[in-house]
Amino acid sequence: MGQIDLKAEVQGAAAEPLLPIEKKLIGWSLGLGIGLLAILIVVNALGLL
Amino acid sequence: MTDTTASHVESAPVQLNEDWVSAIIGISVFVLALLGLSGVDLLGWAVKSKIWTDPAQSLGPFGKSYAWLGGLPSLVFTYLALLAVLSAAAAVIKANVSRFAVTFSAVFWLAYLAWDIGGYAHFAAETPAELAKYGVTWSLHLTAEGGYIVALVAGLLIANFFPGVAAWLDEAIRPDLYVKIAIVLLGGAIGITVAGKLNLASAVFVRSLAAIVEAYLIYWPVVYFIARKYFGFSREAAAPLASGISICGVAAAIATGGAIRARSQVAVLVASLVVVFAVIELFLLPFLASTFLAHEPLVAASWIGLAVKTDGAAVAAGGITEALINAKNAAAGVHYQPGWILGTTTTIKVFIDVFIGVWAFILAHVWTTYINPNTPGGKAKASEIWDRFPKFILGFVLTFALGLAAALTLKGQGPALKAVADETTIFRVIFFVLTFFSIGVLSNFRRLWADGLGKLAAVYVVSLFGFVIWVGLFISWLFFHGVKPPLVS
Repeated sequence: MGQIDLKAEVQGAAAEPLLPIEKKLIGWSLGLGIGLLAILIVVNALGLL
Repeated sequence: MTDTTASHVESAPVQLNEDWVSAIIGISVFVLALLGLSGVDLLGWAVKSKIWTDPAQSLGPFGKSYAWLGGLPSLVFTYLALLAVLSAAAAVIKANVSRFAVTFSAVFWLAYLAWDIGGYAHFAAETPAELAKYGVTWSLHLTAEGGYIVALVAGLLIANFFPGVAAWLDEAIRPDLYVKIAIVLLGGAIGITVAGKLNLASAVFVRSLAAIVEAYLIYWPVVYFIARKYFGFSREAAAPLASGISICGVAAAIATGGAIRARSQVAVLVASLVVVFAVIELFLLPFLASTFLAHEPLVAASWIGLAVKTDGAAVAAGGITEALINAKNAAAGVHYQPGWILGTTTTIKVFIDVFIGVWAFILAHVWTTYINPNTPGGKAKASEIWDRFPKFILGFVLTFALGLAAALTLKGQGPALKAVADETTIFRVIFFVLTFFSIGVLSNFRRLWADGLGKLAAVYVVSLFGFVIWVGLFISWLFFHGVKPPLVS
C-alpha cells in the first residue's frame, strides 16, 4: 500500500470499539503501575535501597 | 518522511547488528582509554575543542604527550580513525561501504565545523569570569555544549532547505548508531563517576526503576486509551503510537508494531513523528529545565530522561541541561561535579529501554491470543524478549562495571581515573555531535506538514504536553527534591 494511502487510512479509519481485553490491559497496567510506584516512593523516602 | 529516512529507522535484523556493533566499538574505545591507567596513552591524539576567540586556537590533541601534533592534524587523525572504524561497522551491518565512507566524510566535517562554531566565545562563554578570561563583553551563554545546538540547526537547515543534500547524505545519517556508541562510552564514565558516591547512585537506581513503571504501566495505558477513545485510532496505529510517546520513541514504536503484527509502514509513520517531536523537545526542555529547575539539578535530569522520547535526543538533552544548569550554578559560586545530571538522564533512559522486549512480548501475547488470534506470524514466543532486547545496553552495563571496578580498586589514582573518564568523554562528545547533526538532517518539518500527519501529531501533543511531561516532573520531584549532585572538591 502506498505511503499516502496508509496515512489516510491510519488517520481516517472507522473507529474500532474498545474490546474487553483492551480495557483489561489498560486497567491492570494502570493499577499495577500506581501500586508499584507507591511502593517505590515509600522505599525511596525511607532510604531502604 | 522518506523511505530513505525510514530505512535507517531500525528494522529488526539491522537493529540487532547495529546494537552489537555499537557495543563493540564503545567497549573497545573504553578499554583503550582504561589502558591509560598503566601509563600508556593510546587515544591521546584525539581532538579536543576549546572555547575560542581565535579559530586557530580552537583545537588541540587531548593528551599532553601528543601536544606536538597540533590542532588540525589531531582533527584529521580523529576523522581517519572514525572513518576506518565506522566503515568497518558499515560493512558488518551491510550498508554500502563506499557510499558510507564518502557521505560520512561529509557528515563528520560538517558536524564538527558546526561544533567548533559553537565554541566561539561570544556563543559559549558562561560566567563573568569566563567572559573576562576570553576578553569578550557579551555572550549567548550557551556553554561549550552549545555546539550541539549548532550541529542540530545545521542538520535542520539541510533537511528543510536542501533536501537533495539530505537525501545524498542518507547512508551516513545514522543517529541511532552514533548515540548507542555514545551511550556505551557514557557507561564507563558514569561507572568511574559514581564510585565516590554510591548512596546517590542507589537513589538514581531506585528512580530509574520508577521510570520503568511510569513509562510502561502509567503512560502507555493512558496514551493508548486517549488514542483509541478520543482520537478514534485503530488498534494497529494506537499501540505503536502509545509506545512511541510513552516508552522510547522510534525503537519502541517499531518493536510494538512488530509485536502486534502491524504493517511495518505504520510503525515507520509513528517513528517519523517521534523524531520531529524529539527535536522540538531538545530545543525547549533543557532551557526550561535550566530556567526553572537550576536549583534542583537531579529533578531536572530525571525529568529530561522521562520526557524526551528517543535515546539520542534524551541523552543529548541531558548533556545540554547539565551544561546549562552547572554553568548557572557556577555563576552563583556552586560548582557541581560534572556527569551527574547527564548520567542520571542516561541511566533512566537505559532502564526504560531494557524492558522494550518484555513489553513487546506482553503485547504480542495479548494481540495474537485475544485480539487477532489468526494473524500471520503466529503466536508470541518468549524468544521475542531477547530478540527485541536492545543489545547495546549490554555494552553500557559492561563499561559501567569496568569503570566502577577500576574506580573502586584504584582509589589512590584519582587523577588517572579522571583522565580515563575525560578521554572517553572526548569520543562520546564526537558521537554526540554526529547524533545531533543526524537528528537534524532527519527532521524535514515541511515534508511532515505536507504529508498531513495532523491527527497523529495531535495525539502526540495532547499526550506529551498534557500528561507525560507533568507526571514525569511531579514524580521526579518526589524522588529528587532536595537531592543535589556532589560538589567539585
